[in-house]
Amino acid sequence: MPVLVKDQQIVADPWQLLETIPDYVPINAIVPVDQLVNTNANAVWVEGDLEADDHGEELAKLDLVAVHFPMFADGRGLSLGTLLRNRYGFIGELRAIGEVQPDLTPFMRRCGFDAFVLESELAANTAIRCMESMSDFYQSSVIQPEPAFRRKHDQ
Amino acid sequence: MYQYDNFDRNFLKERVAQFRDQTDRYLAGEIPDDVFQQLRLRNGLYIQRLAPMLRIAVPYGTLNSAQLRKLASISRDYDKGYGHLSTRQNMQLNWPELPEVPDILAELAEVNMHAIQTSGSCVRNVTTDQFAGVAADEDVDARPYAEMLRQWSTYHPEFEWLPRKFKIALNGAKSDRAAIAVHDIGIQLQVDDEGQTTFDVYVGGGLGRTPAIGALIRQNLPEKHLLTYVEAILRVYNRYGRRDNKYKARIKILVKAMSPETFGEKVDAEWDLIRDNPQELTQDEIDRIVECFKPPDYPPVQNASSTLANQRLQDPAFNRWVQQNVAEHKQLGYAIVTLSTKATGIPPGDVTDVQMDAVADWSETFGLGEIRISHEQNFVLPDVPQNRLFELFELARTEGLASANQGLLTDVICCPGGDYCSLANAKSIPVAEEILQRFDDYDYLHDLGPLDLNISGCMNACGHHHVGHIGILGVDKRGDEFYQISLGGNATNDASLGKIIGPSFSRNEVVSVIERLLDVYVDYRTEGETFLGCYRRVGMDPFKDRVYLEEPESQSYARAG
Repeated sequence: MPVLVKDQQIVADPWQLLETIPDYVPINAIVPVDQLVNTNANAVWVEGDLEADDHGEELAKLDLVAVHFPMFADGRGLSLGTLLRNRYGFIGELRAIGEVQPDLTPFMRRCGFDAFVLESELAANTAIRCMESMSDFYQSSVIQPEPAFRRKHDQ
Repeated sequence: MYQYDNFDRNFLKERVAQFRDQTDRYLAGEIPDDVFQQLRLRNGLYIQRLAPMLRIAVPYGTLNSAQLRKLASISRDYDKGYGHLSTRQNMQLNWPELPEVPDILAELAEVNMHAIQTSGSCVRNVTTDQFAGVAADEDVDARPYAEMLRQWSTYHPEFEWLPRKFKIALNGAKSDRAAIAVHDIGIQLQVDDEGQTTFDVYVGGGLGRTPAIGALIRQNLPEKHLLTYVEAILRVYNRYGRRDNKYKARIKILVKAMSPETFGEKVDAEWDLIRDNPQELTQDEIDRIVECFKPPDYPPVQNASSTLANQRLQDPAFNRWVQQNVAEHKQLGYAIVTLSTKATGIPPGDVTDVQMDAVADWSETFGLGEIRISHEQNFVLPDVPQNRLFELFELARTEGLASANQGLLTDVICCPGGDYCSLANAKSIPVAEEILQRFDDYDYLHDLGPLDLNISGCMNACGHHHVGHIGILGVDKRGDEFYQISLGGNATNDASLGKIIGPSFSRNEVVSVIERLLDVYVDYRTEGETFLGCYRRVGMDPFKDRVYLEEPESQSYARAG
């Protein structure tokens, strides 16, 4: 049973992910990106290799973008997340779906993802713990634009 | 050396705890094998033929004496009392137990060491010239910039899950001792007319199945842009590099497919959008890091040259060692010493705990407590007063670290091969040993002059066989170990890839084939011409004729065996 983690908490999922488009598209539908033009949806799901340069501006207006990670260790979605946030100014929910392993969520989070669909409650709790396992990092990220060297360096 | 502060120490502490948690969850069955594999690799842990292998990062090959003593004690306490210096300036342990690895990492963290990103599809240990900071032919000390890249690439949120591994090398001297042409990114540092440090950036070099020489895509990049420019390259690679076939996933394939010009344009377009982001280096940060590497106050050395000249006259063995293994230092009266691990009967790069402790002691007695590891798998002591070289030589001799063969035929670069590595097609260490045994006459070796002989046990090319003047590659032929030989590779300035001479040889034939190749060189060379120079002038044919037209003597028993 998939479990949604949003802002480091397990929450009920108000959205409904659609793989194909039925006659009636519910208001809370997450539709495939190629169906966006045919629906009034405010949420889409995309593959990690989506060309951000072509779709970024359009996606940035939505309430939710779900990025599909096809397999563990495929980092393309991390670049896509970073670009949607930093280049196109997307402020809605950025959701990781697909092969979302708990140990990858800290990286996703730092690339701007704030929602994660995990395969079980155990995995969801592990992910929450993983996201808290490291307190600070050297380089900038979507959630901490200032690299460590621009912040106070202790002596 | 870079000085760790509380930020760095805390980062390491948390990383050790994180890996301990990952290991515990794996051992409890919560993490599947294929996922744990990716997690452990990013902490340098392989599962090998006989046992796990732990690759410990030695950032740009620089260690202090306390760190080397720690490596000695870890190899004694958790391993079989030896470690292996790798071709990327790291140290590998071949026999640790998986449940003990978190303890090893905790011990390493005590001396500001780790195994972060020494494997896996991420930015690996950044490497540089083992003589950086002390070489007489240096324009810019590359270590501070390697350190900036190390920090930037450590746990990068976006680039920890790349299509494939990613290796960056920097060189700040006139001689390229860092092999920048065969790295995913190679950076040459220089000082421009206004006294500013700038970089020439090469991409898409590499060894492995599809060897390639890197292409220059940016000249004279000002230093403050180092991190943003590399970020642009990595982003283009992460987004567009192939992920469908791991043999086509390195950046060199992408650069070739796009053409270096198009790839460079794509990087520039990306860079234009991010170049002013907060990752742009501040002058304060550049100064902070450069300060860590600033040269010490070298006390003057009395009568350096006369003492040394006398000792060289009196002891021919010492003279040979100085000639071969001692390099010119920036500072008058000092010298850079290469302590060769290539002694007969010892796998190239293997060092015992006793040797490590001894080298740590010498680094304090004869220097400032600093040690380097070269990509040729030797130790280097960077600051030895010339009038104490003889003392050091005598001590090194007692520990088997005084082979006078740096840069010569027997300074073989060699991967662990089929004795340890589960990827290997063939053994490489025994081949190296046979070569070291056969060619142990110093006068002959010295007469042959500079000669890089590199051996890899498979086409992943950890032994850099493509860039050996003579390269040996282990191949599998119907279950038997065979060796393919190539000529004309070169890893330094004017880099080139070796060409395969012809059909491969059985193990018993390899040494006699090498002998014949050397005979051809001796017959054809002109005054002062190196093996590489001679090969480039006369071409492959004379070598090929000698090796194949006559039946190698050993072939009869090779076939029988």
